[in-house]
Amino acid sequence: MSDFVWTNSTSEDQASMKRIGRWLIRNPPVFTLILIVLVSVTIGAIAPEFWQVSNIFDMARASVVTGLFGLGFLVILAAGGIDLSFTAIAALMMYWITTAVAASAPWMPMPVILVIAALGGTIIGIGNGLLVHYLRAPALIVTIGTSYVIRGFLLTFIGTELFVNIPLPIEEFGKFELWRVQTDTGSIAILPAYVLMLVAAAVVTWWILNRTLMGRAIFAIGGNTSIAERLGYDARKVQVFVFAFSGFLAGIAGMLHVSANRIANPFDLVGTELTVIAAVVLGGARITGGGGSVLGTILGVVLITLVNNVLILAGIPSTWQTFVVGCFIVLAGAVFGTRKSA
Amino acid sequence: MPEGSASTAGATPFLELSGIHKRFAGVHALRGVSTTIEAGQIYHLMGENGSGKSTLIKIISGAQPADEGSILIDGREVTSLTPLGALSAGIETVYQDLSLLPNLTVTENISLSQQLVEAKGRLSSQIDRSRLDATAVKALEAVNLPTDPGFRSLLVEELPIATRQLVAIARAIAVKAKLVIMDEPTSALTKREVDNLIDVVGQLRESGVAVLFVTHKLDESKSIGGHFIILRDGELVKEGDIQDHEKDELSFWMTGRHLDASRYRRADIGAPGLLEVKDLRRRRDFADVSFSLAKGEILGIAGLLDSGRNELARALAGVTPADGGEIRVDGKAVALRQPVDAIDAGIGYVPEDRLSEGLFLEKPISANIVVQILDRIRNRLGMINVGESRKLSEAIAEQLHIVAADLKNPVQSLSGGNQQRVLIGRGLATQPKLFVLHGPTVGVDVGSKDTIFRIIQKLAGEGMGVIIVSDDLPELLQNCDRIMVMRKGRIAETFDAEEVDEDMLYHALASAEPSEAGVAEAGS
Repeated sequence: MSDFVWTNSTSEDQASMKRIGRWLIRNPPVFTLILIVLVSVTIGAIAPEFWQVSNIFDMARASVVTGLFGLGFLVILAAGGIDLSFTAIAALMMYWITTAVAASAPWMPMPVILVIAALGGTIIGIGNGLLVHYLRAPALIVTIGTSYVIRGFLLTFIGTELFVNIPLPIEEFGKFELWRVQTDTGSIAILPAYVLMLVAAAVVTWWILNRTLMGRAIFAIGGNTSIAERLGYDARKVQVFVFAFSGFLAGIAGMLHVSANRIANPFDLVGTELTVIAAVVLGGARITGGGGSVLGTILGVVLITLVNNVLILAGIPSTWQTFVVGCFIVLAGAVFGTRKSA
Repeated sequence: MPEGSASTAGATPFLELSGIHKRFAGVHALRGVSTTIEAGQIYHLMGENGSGKSTLIKIISGAQPADEGSILIDGREVTSLTPLGALSAGIETVYQDLSLLPNLTVTENISLSQQLVEAKGRLSSQIDRSRLDATAVKALEAVNLPTDPGFRSLLVEELPIATRQLVAIARAIAVKAKLVIMDEPTSALTKREVDNLIDVVGQLRESGVAVLFVTHKLDESKSIGGHFIILRDGELVKEGDIQDHEKDELSFWMTGRHLDASRYRRADIGAPGLLEVKDLRRRRDFADVSFSLAKGEILGIAGLLDSGRNELARALAGVTPADGGEIRVDGKAVALRQPVDAIDAGIGYVPEDRLSEGLFLEKPISANIVVQILDRIRNRLGMINVGESRKLSEAIAEQLHIVAADLKNPVQSLSGGNQQRVLIGRGLATQPKLFVLHGPTVGVDVGSKDTIFRIIQKLAGEGMGVIIVSDDLPELLQNCDRIMVMRKGRIAETFDAEEVDEDMLYHALASAEPSEAGVAEAGS
C-alpha cells in the first residue's frame, strides 16, 4: 500500500527495478532458469566438452527418475502435503515386479509391466492418502511411517540381494533409441526413448493442475484447507488423489530405473528423497503448500542433475556437488522467502 | 411484537424465518426468531457478541441446521438447508475472513465456485477458462474493480484488505446471488473504502439483491439506511426502519441498558513530558513526527490506512522500529529496537489485530495475561511462580471485568469484547507508564466498547498516558484530549478534541488525498 504513496519520492529506476524484482518473485522458474544458465555457461567456459551432445543426452537420461518423483512431490506439496515414501514405493515396485516377472512371466511386454507398476504404486498411494486424511495426522509423519513399512516389507519378504537377471522386455525398453547422433570424435551418443515418459508425465501433470477442477482444488486445499472445504472443495478426494498420483508416478519411475540400469537393487533409490525435494523447492514450489509449477519443477530437476553430473567436468571434486546444491537451496530460500512481504 | 416489520405489500418475500430455535450444549442460542428478508432491501443484523447473530447467519447459509422452526425460500419450505443448497438458492455469505484462497488469482477466486457448483463438486471436470474470465470481468465491473488481465491474474494475497473485501463480494455476485450476507464487512476498512463498499451495495440493491449486514457500527448502518434487526440473548427484540430511531435507542435495544454516548473524557491532565517524540521517522512509512504526551492525557491518532498511523503505533511499541528521531519517556531517551525495549521503557501496547498479532488463542486466559512479564514472576530457578501468576491474572481480570468461568479456559472460549480486555490486561500487567492502544475496540460490540472506554478513562485518571490509534472517529472524539491527524506519513493537523466534530475530522483525514477510490492501487 505504502508503495503508492511514496512512488513520487523514489526515482524511475528504482521503480522499474522493483517491478522486475516483483516479476521475478511472481515467476520463480525464471530464477531457476538463471541458475541453470549461469552454471552451464561457467562450466562450458572451463570445460568445452560440456556442450557435447553425449553429455546433454546423459543429463536428460539422468533426469527421468528424479523428474517423475519431482512431479509427484510437486502435486502433493501443492495440496499442502508432504511425502517421504515415494522412493520406498518405487523401490518396492521395481524389485518386486522385476523378480516376479523374471520368475514367472519373462515374456511379459514392458507396457503391461509399467501398468502393473503404476497400479501398484497408485494403490499404496491411496493408502497413504486415506491414512493422512482419516488420521488427521501430519503427512510427514504418516509417510515416514509408511516408507519404513514398505521398505521393511520389501527387505523381509521380497529379497535383499542384487538382482541382475533382468527380463528381456524390461532391458530392451531401456535400450530403445529415440535419437542417435554420430559425434565429431566418432563416438555415438544415444538419447533413450524413455525420456519421453518424463515429457508425457510433465504434460499430464500440467494438464491436471491447470485445466481441471481437481488441479485448482489441489491449490485451493494447499492454500487454506478449511476455507476450501467451506467453498465446497472435497479435501478427502484431493488428498487421496495427490498421494495416488505420486504413487502412480513412483511405480513408473521404479520400473524405468531398472530399465535404465539393467539391475534391480532393493537398496537403490531410497535416500534420494532430499534431492527430489531440493529440486522441487529450487523450482519455486512453496514448501508450505499451495504453490509451484510443472515448469519450475522440471527446471529444478534439470538444475540438480546439472550440478550432480557436470561439476566433475570442470575439475571440481564431486564432493563439492552437495555443497553447491546446498548453497543454491539457501539462495532459493532467500529469494522465494521475500515473496510474502512483496 | 416488531413494529413496522419490513413488508412490502403483495410479493412473496425471498426468505421467511419463523420460530427458529437453536441450542448448543446447554446454551439456548436462538429462542424463536422470526423475520423476513425481501428482495432488493438492505438489512442490518445487530446485537452484542453472543446475542446469536452468527448462529442465525450460519442457519441461513446452511452451515448449521436449526433445531426448530421453518425456513421458506421464495415461499417454499426448505426442510434441511445445506451450504450447497443455500448457494444454489442464491444465498451467499461473505464471512469476516472473506473465505478467499490467498494463493489463487482474482479470477479463480471469483469464478471457480460457479463452475464447482455446476459440476456438483465433481473434480474431474475440466475448467472452462474463457468463461472463467468472462464471469470475473462481469463481477469485477459490478464492484468497481479493475477488469484488466493484469489485475485479474494477481494473487489475492497480493491485494490490500479493502480490495479483497470487494473481491469476496464479486464472488458472491458471480453466482447470481439473491441475498448477500456480509459479516462485519467494514471492520478492516477506512472510511473512503467503506464509501466505495456502500456504493457497491447500493448497486446490488438496485438490481434486486437483498443485502444483510452483520454489524456493530451504528453510525455506518444509519448512513447506509434500511431495516434493522436487533437480537439480544437469542431473541429478536426489535426490527424496523433504521432511520426512524436514534442511536441511543438502538444501542439500548442491543444492550438492554442505557449507555453514555457522549464524551467519556472527564479527568484532568497531569504533568507534561511523560512522552516526548522528536522527528521520528521510518523509511517509506512516516517522517517528521514530533509530539508530546502528558501524564493522564489521552491522545488520539487518526489517519487513513496508508497514512502511517499503524506504522507509527508499531514503532512506539518497538514492533517495527523507527529509523531515526528521538523518543523520551520521563525525560530519558529510549531506543525501541524490539518490543521488549518498549516494555522496559514503560510503554504498554495493545496491537490492532488480536487474532494474528495479539493473543495465543488456544492458551489459557491467565497465561495470556502474564506472557509479557514472565521475567517478573519467575523464581530463582527460572521457573514460573504459578501462585503469583494466578494472583496477578485474577487481579487484572477483576479490574477489567473479564467475564470468564475459569481463567484456565482458553482465550478463544471468550467473546470478542472479553478477548480484547485480555489483550488490554496483558499490556496492563507490564505496569506501563503509557499505553499505546491500536484499534482498541475493533470488532467489539457496543456494551463491551462502553466497558473498554471506561477502563481507558480510569487508567488516564490514575495518571497513565494513553495513545489511541484508530479509524473509529467517534471513539477518538469520545475519549481523547487531543487528536492528531496523519496524512502521507506526516502529522497534518492536531485538534483539541472538544473543539472538533466528526465531519471536520473526516475532512482532515481525506483532504489532499487523491480522489480515486483506493481500490485501483493494487492493479496499477
